This record gives sequence, structure tokens and C-alpha cells, in this order.
Amino acid sequence: MLQIRHVTKSFPGVRALDDVSVEFAPGEVHAIVGENGAGKSTLIKIICGVYTPDDGEVLLNGARITLHTYKDALDRKINLVSQEIQIIPKSTVAENIMLDKLDRYLTHGRIDWKRINQDAARYATMVDLAVPVRQIVATLSAAQKQLIMIARALSSDARILVMDEPTSALTRHETENLLALLRRLKAEGVTVLFVSHKLEEVLAVADKVSVLRDGCLIGTRPIAGLTKAQIVQMMIGRDARTLDLGRLKVDAGHVALEARSICQAGRFHDVSFVLQRGEILGFYGLVGSGRTELAQILIGEARKDSGEVLINDKPTHIHSMADSLFKYRMGYVSENRKEKGLILSASIKTNVAITIWNRLRDRLGSIQLAAETTAARKLMHALEIRATGPSQVVGSLSGGNQQKVSIAKWLAAQCDILIIDEPTIGVDIGAKEYIHQLIWNLASREGKSIILISSDMPEIINVARRILVFKDFKIVGEVRNNGEEGAPVRGYEEVSQEIGQYLA
Amino acid sequence: MAQSKVEHSVRQDREAGGIGSALRSVFRRSDTSVVIATVILFVLFSFSNTSFLTPFNLFNVSRTAALYVFVALGQAIVIVTGGMNLSLGAIGGLTVVVAGWCMDTMGWSPWIGVPLAMLTGTLCGMFNGFIIIKSKLNSFIVTLASLFIFTGLVQGISQGFPYSNIPRDFTILGRNDFLGVPYVFLFAVAVLTALAYVFKFRVVGRRILATGGNLEAARLSGIRTDNIVFLSHTLSGVFAATAGLLWVSRMGSAQPSTGTDWLIISFAVAIIGGTALNGGEFSALGILASAIMLTLIKNGLIMLNVNVYFEQTFLGVIVLLAVSVESIRVALSNRTKRTKTDAS
Repeated sequence: MLQIRHVTKSFPGVRALDDVSVEFAPGEVHAIVGENGAGKSTLIKIICGVYTPDDGEVLLNGARITLHTYKDALDRKINLVSQEIQIIPKSTVAENIMLDKLDRYLTHGRIDWKRINQDAARYATMVDLAVPVRQIVATLSAAQKQLIMIARALSSDARILVMDEPTSALTRHETENLLALLRRLKAEGVTVLFVSHKLEEVLAVADKVSVLRDGCLIGTRPIAGLTKAQIVQMMIGRDARTLDLGRLKVDAGHVALEARSICQAGRFHDVSFVLQRGEILGFYGLVGSGRTELAQILIGEARKDSGEVLINDKPTHIHSMADSLFKYRMGYVSENRKEKGLILSASIKTNVAITIWNRLRDRLGSIQLAAETTAARKLMHALEIRATGPSQVVGSLSGGNQQKVSIAKWLAAQCDILIIDEPTIGVDIGAKEYIHQLIWNLASREGKSIILISSDMPEIINVARRILVFKDFKIVGEVRNNGEEGAPVRGYEEVSQEIGQYLA
Repeated sequence: MAQSKVEHSVRQDREAGGIGSALRSVFRRSDTSVVIATVILFVLFSFSNTSFLTPFNLFNVSRTAALYVFVALGQAIVIVTGGMNLSLGAIGGLTVVVAGWCMDTMGWSPWIGVPLAMLTGTLCGMFNGFIIIKSKLNSFIVTLASLFIFTGLVQGISQGFPYSNIPRDFTILGRNDFLGVPYVFLFAVAVLTALAYVFKFRVVGRRILATGGNLEAARLSGIRTDNIVFLSHTLSGVFAATAGLLWVSRMGSAQPSTGTDWLIISFAVAIIGGTALNGGEFSALGILASAIMLTLIKNGLIMLNVNVYFEQTFLGVIVLLAVSVESIRVALSNRTKRTKTDAS
């Protein structure tokens, strides 16, 4: 029995876990669900000794335990199958499975490869890994590597198995095998913690589900009798359809940006679309479906082999973000704000004014520091960025405030066209709604033309008023959800079903 | 409990009041510690050694410090963009040899030799920058290779022999003074002041810092980061050439061995001077202070009769200490930052 009692964990600017208490019984598959940034990873990392809680305690079979490293967790037979594939590519399947216990196979100081391969083969069979154990891992598929990681955890006789999104790389068939395996482990009395975004799997395999939201435990419920809608309700805390922004008045006659037959070898073939002025156009699809990749071509970060991009009906020559920004006033809010969107070690001021330094110069060419501070202050006020002042270092802000800063820089630049990529990843609910409203206002009040890239269905349906559905680097469908003039906006259910049809 | 811990430290913050927070913001500056250390060292030497405060010794100290400033700038200007230049000393050496060859072997006037030498250093820097942005390799590996290329040129051209026939006119800059202050020192202070201005007030300076802070983010904010990296390596070559020529001017001869000890000096002065190793931070005052500090330490070692052959060992230890102090400072200031945001 693993018990978490009143565990709290904070990071700079955010309380990742707030007084969370939950119990995991032997022979139980216990699902942990929640939106991005809800605290799932933090909880797992505390259970596996990667983080130590600020407050509260972890009990194993009634005794309080303190884990300082993952090794401490392993010693107590707590094993993690993490989301990222951790594998040594140039070693064999067997070596990767038995990696952490090679020292148990020593005879006279030499490693007994025969025994290792035999044992590894047994675990490989358990997870239905149909590959010779002597094969080098590098060439295997992501799913096969995932199975190796699961086999590695099994080979350590784990009593508590923590699985973080284990099926994200697996095919349907492999997933079914994995779920069957989890049921077998359950029968052997293993505690399985199952973190997943896929609620169908949770309903299929779990006995209990714990829902986290904004670092708080919303509740633990037995799966029996629970529906998917009820879990979603707990996860997002409100009806997914409630944020109703209404109809967007689009200047239908004017085209802000038009892409004509974009081609890129191995990826895009003859992709075209139009962005109207004052419109919010959604790019919906899974990660890697071509949404961000197409945006990269638009802003000149990636080369296209043929095709053209027109802005205000004129052909463009964009070879870099600098061209995009300074010649065509098109901005891009990166989906990865920490690595690509912000200079974390610099101040809010620097991060906001970076696009307009040229404009802040006096007659002799010096940047006017006062004007820079004023510009930053104004945007901090307009976007309600909570900070001690314009000089605060961006890295110490919360996720939501960081995201606002990374949008603010493009507002400062007074861009006409804004490409906003996954604006609410790792942002708490309050800030999320604020950012949705902000994007909406930019289009409806200031007439900016916006491309919103997102894999979050409620987000794209609530904010965008025309949605292009991406799959395998193709636009497979276009969904108009703005409704007719004078009529109400189309319902969430109806729109999401139409999107679903295109993806199927 | 976590809550109360935070509240407690916030209360302490408030109780400390204005002076406490002012002190903390001074402490958070990357160059404060080196300025204080230099002042302490200066006072210490003034009291412990009677020959320290003599005009002759101060002249020497400030002149050497000034040369170190240029050497350090050659490194700092690339560190600030998140790179490094291992070939700095070799560029300096090549500049010296070209200057010597022009003025001694060819007998040309400094008016021809100096521009040619400067051009050589600049081209070397451009070469590094060009290879780095075109090959997408990191600056470590590219400048490691060019270190050998340039060193080979130095040895090939000079055959290891110094050029001693340098026109007397050319030594004025390196040997003369204005009211007891060496020209070189005034020159260094002027260049540092200009750089401090550029990094604070000019768009190009801000863009260099932004590129060092996060290259990807800078590029995606519309900065042509390739140009910035190229520029910083070119400037690195310019500073190396300047340092090399000043060395010739001061020695009155062109030694092919010039620059062989610049690697450690350039990193030592730049890092101790508050140039953040992962880029994005630059302090002119810090570089000046650390150049003086390093000169004082070398000076002190000589006065203490320490075997000069061990000098590099001391320098290495000092760099290690400086980097450790730096990481402690960063950790401490992060902690105070963290407490503040938690409270808000």
C-alpha cells in the first residue's frame, strides 16, 4: 500500500501540487488524469524520488519513506516507465532490458551473457516484443522501444509500476496487448499507476481514477459506473462548451495571407489556404501533423521547394523571422516558450521590447531606456502580467505570465498577422481563459488576422471561427463554425464531430 | 508549512528594509564581487609593500592590465553570444608576425604594417565566424581547428624568430603616458566605455546580448542571429589584433610567441569580470576590475618571489575559484528571486 499524504510541491511562480492525498492499493490499476500542467508529472516524480515534497509525506506499507533519488525508489521496488524513451540505441534489446541489473549476472567477474539473453527473452515475451533479444535497438520503432522500457521495469520485479503515458507511441494492437499485460500484473498484486490522456484506455483498464487540476486533487473515484464525460468534467472543472465568444465579424472581402500550392519534399504537397483579414483561423491536428511545420514555412524558418505566399495580395520573399517581422509585420508566438519564445535570463522589458528596439531610438540612434520601460509597462498592464516590475527576470514568472510576455512582444511590434502556436500549454485555467479572450479581442477589436495552432479541441472550437484539419502534412478538411449571419455559432458537439470525421 | 516558510522569509525581507534590498540588488550584479576584491587587493598591496605605490610600478600595472583588457574583450565578445574563441591567442600571434614581417623584413612604415596586421586579425575572426554560421558547428570545435591553422601560419612565416627592428615611432602608444597614465590604459578605458554604451543603448549591442541569452528565441524574435555571431567573431579578431599590436608597441619587437598564454588570461579576465559563461551578460567595469586584479596577483607573485614557471597554475586555480564564487552567487540570487515570486 502506497499512501501520499498532504503532499505539497512548489516551483518558482507555481504551486505544482497543493495538499494532495491519495492511496494506491496492491493489485490495483490506478489512473491519474488531468490537463497539461495539472500536476501529474510532479506527483509521479515525487513517488519515484526525483522530487522531494516541500511538505507532506509518502508512506509505503504504513512506514514513512523519504526518497532522494530514483535509485531510492528502485530499491523499494517502485519502477517508472517514463514518457520519454530512455534507451541506449547502440546496445542490444537484452542489454537494454537488463541494464540496471547486469551486476547480478556476474560469474567469476565476467558477465554471463547467455543467462542475460535467456532472461531478457522471457520478459520480452511477456510484453509481446517480437524481436530477437540480440538485435541492436537503434533500428527499432518507437513502440518497440517503449515495450523494452516496460520489460525493463518488469524484470526488476516491480511492486509499484508507474507508467507515464505508456501508450503514446503504441499502435492499437500493441496498446491492447499492454492493457492485457496490466491486467495480468494486477492479478499478481502489483500496483499500477497509469497516467494517460486517453480516457478510453483509462475506462478500459483502471479500477480507480484520481483527477488532478491545477495542482489539487479533485477526487478519486472507482471506475465502475463512471463515464468519460464525468471524468472530463472533473478535469476541466466546467463544461467544455461554456466559453461562448459568439460570432466573429470577418472582413470577408480582404485576404490577409494566402498560401498557394506550398510544396516541401517529403512533407507538403500542394497545400493552399487563405487567411481573411480579422479572422481567427484554426490549425487543428496532432503534434507532427504539419501545423507547426507549415507555420515554419510561412515565417521563413523552413524552406519551401515551391509555391508562394501572398500577403495583402502581393507576393512575398520571406527567408527568416526578421523578414517576416520587419517586412510583412507577421509575428509568431512559439509553442515552446521556454526554449524558443523567451530569453528566460533576461527581464520582461528586454523580452517585450526586443522586436521594437529600432523604433525606440532617439535621433542619435540610442535606445531610449524610459520609452522601453513605458512600452513594457503598458503591455504588462494591458495583458495583466503579474510581476514585481518590468525589470523582473522572465524565468521567475509563472507559466501563464510567461506566455503573456511571449505574446506581448508581438503586440509591441504591432503585427498585422499573428501565428499563435499552442498558446496555453502549461498554463493554468485562469490564464488560459484570459489568453483565449485576448486572442479573440485581437481579432474582433483590433482587426488582426490570426492563425491559431492547437491540438486542444475545446480551445480551437471556442476561439477559432474556421478550422483547417491537418493530418499527415495535408489539410484534410475545413470546418466553418462561425455560423450564418444573424444566426448563432454552431454548437461544440456538432463541430467536434465534423472535425472527428475528417481525422478518421 | 511551506506557506509559512515563505511568509517568514518575506517578513524578514521587509524587516531588512531599504538598505537590505539595495545591498541585495548590488550583490546580484555580476561584477560587484570582482570590484570589491580588486579594491581589497589594491589596499593590501599598498600597505604590505613599499614599492607598490611607486609611479613606476603603477605605470606597469595599469599598462599590463590594459593589454589584458583587450585580450579579455576578444574572448568576452564571443562568450557574450554563447560561444568561445580558442584561436584568440593564435590570431594575436599572427597579427604580431604580420606586423613584424611588414615593418622589419619588408621595412615598410607602420602606416602600412599596422593596417595590414589589423586586417589579418579581422579576417581571421571573419573566417571563424563564417565557418561557424555556415557549417552550423559549435565555436569550440571550429576555433580549436583554426587555432592550429593560425598557429601553423605563425610558425611558418616567422620560423620562430622575433622581428626586432620595429620603428621607434610605433612604440609611443605602448610606452608613453599622459600625466603618468599610460596611453594604452586610456585607450582601454575608452574602448570599455564605448562598449558599455553599445551594450546598453545601441540596438546591435542589445541584439548581441539577446543572442547570447537564447539564440533560438532571439532568432524567432526577428534578430538575424547568424549576422550577430559573425559580427562577434569578427570583433574578436579585431580585439586580438589590437592586443597583438599593442604588445609589439610595448615590447618594441614582434615576438612570434605572443598570444600563447592568452587562452587562460582571456577566459580568466572575462569570467572573473562577470561575463556569464552561457552568454547574455557583459560588464565593462567588471572586465576592467578583473584585468587589474589579475595583474596585481601576477605582480604580487613576483614580489613574493614565487617561481614564475608556476604562474599558470595560480591562474588556473583563480579561474576555478571565480567560477565557483559565480555559481554560488547565481544560486543565492535565484533563491531570493524565488521567494519574491512565491510571495506575489
